[in-house]
Amino acid sequence: MKYFTINAFVLIMLYVLCSTSYAARIEISAPGEQTIPLAMTRLLPMGVGGAKPAVVAEFQEVLQGDLELSGLFDQVDPASFLSDADKLGLRRNEIDFYQWRMLGAEALIKGGYSLSGGRLTIELRLFDVVTQRLLTGRRYVGQVSDVRQIAHTFADQILKSLTGEKGPFAAKIAYISKRTGHKELYMMDVDGHDPIRMTDHRSIVLNPDFSPTRKELIFTSYNKGNPDLFRKEIYTGRESRVSLKQGLNIGGRYSPDGREIALTLSKDKNSEIYLLGTDGTIHRRLTNHYAIDVDPSWSPKGNKIAFVSDRRGNPNIFIVDVHTLDVSRLTYEGKYNATPAWSPKGDRIAYARMDNGVFNIFTIRENGSDERQLTFGQGSKEHPRWSPDGRFLIYSKDIDGGDKSIWIMRADGTGGRKISARGGKDSHPAWSVHW
Amino acid sequence: MESSRKKRWQQLQAVFGPGFKQMLLVSVLLHFILPILYYSPFFPQREIEKPPVYRVNLVNKIVKNPQAGRPEATSVKKKPVVKKKPKPKPKPKPIPPKPKPKPKPPVKPKPVPVTPKVEPKVQPKPTVSKAQNNTLKQRLEQMRASQKKKDSDQARKDRIAALKAAALAESRQIESPVTDAPVGMVDGSGDEAGVSASAHVQEFIQQQWNLSKYQAVGNPEAEVKMFYSADGALIHYKFITKSGNSAFDESLTRAIVKSKQLDQKLPEAMEFHIFFNLKDMLDRP
Repeated sequence: MKYFTINAFVLIMLYVLCSTSYAARIEISAPGEQTIPLAMTRLLPMGVGGAKPAVVAEFQEVLQGDLELSGLFDQVDPASFLSDADKLGLRRNEIDFYQWRMLGAEALIKGGYSLSGGRLTIELRLFDVVTQRLLTGRRYVGQVSDVRQIAHTFADQILKSLTGEKGPFAAKIAYISKRTGHKELYMMDVDGHDPIRMTDHRSIVLNPDFSPTRKELIFTSYNKGNPDLFRKEIYTGRESRVSLKQGLNIGGRYSPDGREIALTLSKDKNSEIYLLGTDGTIHRRLTNHYAIDVDPSWSPKGNKIAFVSDRRGNPNIFIVDVHTLDVSRLTYEGKYNATPAWSPKGDRIAYARMDNGVFNIFTIRENGSDERQLTFGQGSKEHPRWSPDGRFLIYSKDIDGGDKSIWIMRADGTGGRKISARGGKDSHPAWSVHW
Repeated sequence: MESSRKKRWQQLQAVFGPGFKQMLLVSVLLHFILPILYYSPFFPQREIEKPPVYRVNLVNKIVKNPQAGRPEATSVKKKPVVKKKPKPKPKPKPIPPKPKPKPKPPVKPKPVPVTPKVEPKVQPKPTVSKAQNNTLKQRLEQMRASQKKKDSDQARKDRIAALKAAALAESRQIESPVTDAPVGMVDGSGDEAGVSASAHVQEFIQQQWNLSKYQAVGNPEAEVKMFYSADGALIHYKFITKSGNSAFDESLTRAIVKSKQLDQKLPEAMEFHIFFNLKDMLDRP
């Protein structure tokens, strides 16, 4: 009996082994397509209020521009749309996904709008065409003049839905422009629309930076003769001097928690990096060297600051530990490296390097490895700053001393486009957090 | 001797009690079962299948007549073709193998029908001057030469056509130098895709997979088990491991849904363990 049991067990095991089918092992190490085919239908009127083609066109243009800049999508040509594009259906059971699959779309944006008594309502949906699921949906209510802001906000929402991280389009960009003849502080949308002058100092305004926690800006101005650090509340317009030490008070940058400001002071006849409280009191001196130390930029954790120093001869990027005050050198290549900007993700530091009299934007890892040149061609590209999500960079581009303007590009250097209007001699851009 | 063994056996039995034999049996069984279990599907071995290697023997590819293209080889063969009558001109012979003289033939074929005309002209021979006679002779020589060239060209064309046909017939009989080469490669057999079934499935699923590099965060990896029927229909799939990155995992779900029907049949029902990662997309700032 025992032997029978053993034999039966062994036979069963052998049967199990033999009966299992062969499983081929495959490795797929990259997707076949690196963009998402997206179909974006036009907004259709929902019940009340007549059709407003101007509103629809403006919404379409803004959303399309943002999504194009994101680099995520390959937009399906609207000329190929079938009958479902003309139906308002915003519920998944009202949509003919088969039509969109036929067009090769994987994501679908549908929306409708209504306008009554000056109140604009826009309903938007993002669907996954393949799994026929609703990915995100929003209803926005506002004025007709808010249509651009609504489009930017929904673009951010789309990015959040598809990447897990919100987009940076519903934010503002501060910059310095000389269109009045003086260098003044301006603010505009991320796509360059709606520029507004923020100061009327009629002197020289420099280096703006947004507070990460409040709707306010700091900048340097020669308004009172000395380059002092100013703070400006955006909505009230109230302005005050934060630091008015003798000599330079320049390059102010809010810490990631918004409680301190790193800036360059030359009160002791030599430019050094200091930490200030938001009330202007000096908290700490970070550098102590006979060389010139300028342009501080915080790491996202707030424990390190990248800055420019010529302590080894030429201007190069250095990093100082805020707690230990240890200084390490970051860049060795090139003879002139300036204006560092630490990525909000913390992985890379962008800066401008001059070669043959022309500045270009580079990025490098914190440990000094993997240096990459992002911009090429004619014209100096300077003052790089990151978007709050670290996906994009803005910078100023000066073509042979002529037209100086603000440009935007993806963090890998692709998709560069000009966003500020012509003839402004614009420079020193800064990207706000989500507005 | 035997008694000592027995003693030892009894001692062991005494130590381990009455269940000693059973324990021994279980121990032996366990030793036997463990290696079997190790190779069973309960312990899958994560070995990535090596990509198929196609070895194409280009250097040693069989050629009907390797010397065919060489001028000396052709000239050797031409000698017997060329009749030894026009021997006085041994130099024109190496020229014929080259198809350069072609421009001339179109001019000379015309004179061929004219040849009867030329001969009647010979009648007024007595009145024709010596110089004219020489030119006539020259023309006749040229006509003969052109006729010979035409003949040799035709012969060459026939020979090339015969060689091509022979090479084609031979290539159909060529066997793969690699014994287990995937179908559709060296020997021309196999399915339309011309690759192994798993390579085809890999390619097909990869084409259905859309993911932007701006969605990729970190080094996500996922393993999916997919079972296809012989008709190429997806019977079922299961995520063995997910990456934890929702954008990455959802893109895989979309790719799988799009791959529920392959564009061609499989040799048999097959199960695939597919490892998705972004190794080839990692070079980004």
